[in-house]
Amino acid sequence: MTPPDADRLPSADEPFDDVDLGLLDDIRELFQAADPMPPDLPERISFFIALRDLEIEVARLAEEDQLTAAARGAEQSRTITFDSDSLTIMIRIDANRDGTVRVDGWLAPPQRREIEMKTAADPLSVASDEQGRFSFARVPQGTAQLVVRPAEQGPSGAGRSVVTPALIL
Amino acid sequence: MDDSKPATVQATQLNRNARIASLVSAARQGSKDALGQIVTELSPLLWQVARAAGLSSSDAEDVLQTVWMRLVAHLDDIHDSAALTGWLVVTTRREAWRVRAAGRRQIPADQESFDELPDQGHGSEEQVILDDQRRALWVAIGQLSARCQELLRVIAFAPRPDYAAVAAALGMPVGSIGPTRGRCLAKLRALLASDPEVSPG
Repeated sequence: MTPPDADRLPSADEPFDDVDLGLLDDIRELFQAADPMPPDLPERISFFIALRDLEIEVARLAEEDQLTAAARGAEQSRTITFDSDSLTIMIRIDANRDGTVRVDGWLAPPQRREIEMKTAADPLSVASDEQGRFSFARVPQGTAQLVVRPAEQGPSGAGRSVVTPALIL
Repeated sequence: MDDSKPATVQATQLNRNARIASLVSAARQGSKDALGQIVTELSPLLWQVARAAGLSSSDAEDVLQTVWMRLVAHLDDIHDSAALTGWLVVTTRREAWRVRAAGRRQIPADQESFDELPDQGHGSEEQVILDDQRRALWVAIGQLSARCQELLRVIAFAPRPDYAAVAAALGMPVGSIGPTRGRCLAKLRALLASDPEVSPG
């Protein structure tokens, strides 16, 4: 709907003119300043794509819940579920008193796998038990990524690593 | 009809289309470098798509990662720049909505503040005039519908030859002759024209 005082106002049906293009340039500059993409993001994405050569399967964020147990959000617990074609990974993140976090996880279907937590520091490595349970007692806060290593020699021949997107602990 | 478009602009657009098409083709054959160039060129657009959909920064990063991974599997279906940009925008938007529904970390788009313009520093008189214009534009954008804000924010980051594909990807009608100004830009211009010093609130 065009406004009633449209005698000198541009109509929606006309092609773009220079004023429109100039406005779009200005809008781009405004949002570039207000909400810039992290400059290293393309590089990180390219690095992530390069991991594909390692025969990986990428899990997608399926669900996230924030459970606030205590006042002022001091004791928070988050559960996050990731789905991939072959595996569902559910993790629960709890804050430790020393500033690190505890991560308890479950794999479905349940199985023994080697699981690595990539962090800003050295990667941590644990194994899941027959019920698919695993836990990292102390993980530094910050960006982390879970990698579920391929099964040694499964009857179903599962041979790919499953990685989650980067998550913030 | 606009025949006055300078030949150099058209040539630049043709060059870009050809360049993107050859990058896509190289990426399809496994060139990580070609894919990296596409990622670098179009991620700023997708960032705005994800953020305009109301995602937090970290969710937006996850979504971009997922979308680019998925593009790798779809490269065989994509042959030109408009199709590439359109596919990326549609997929990013869909994925952003999915993540929003799955998590609860989102910032609703309509709560985003248009009150404060990012500070660019003050200096010359010219700079002050420029700041006034930018502030007026920022205030005017804030008065548009959420849908128009999203469209203009995203279109502003799209390569110009792909405007029509991006508008279509966002579910906005595109004129049969080509990209038209559209309702949102017309409204924005009306707002700016009706009140040159749009009230700062």
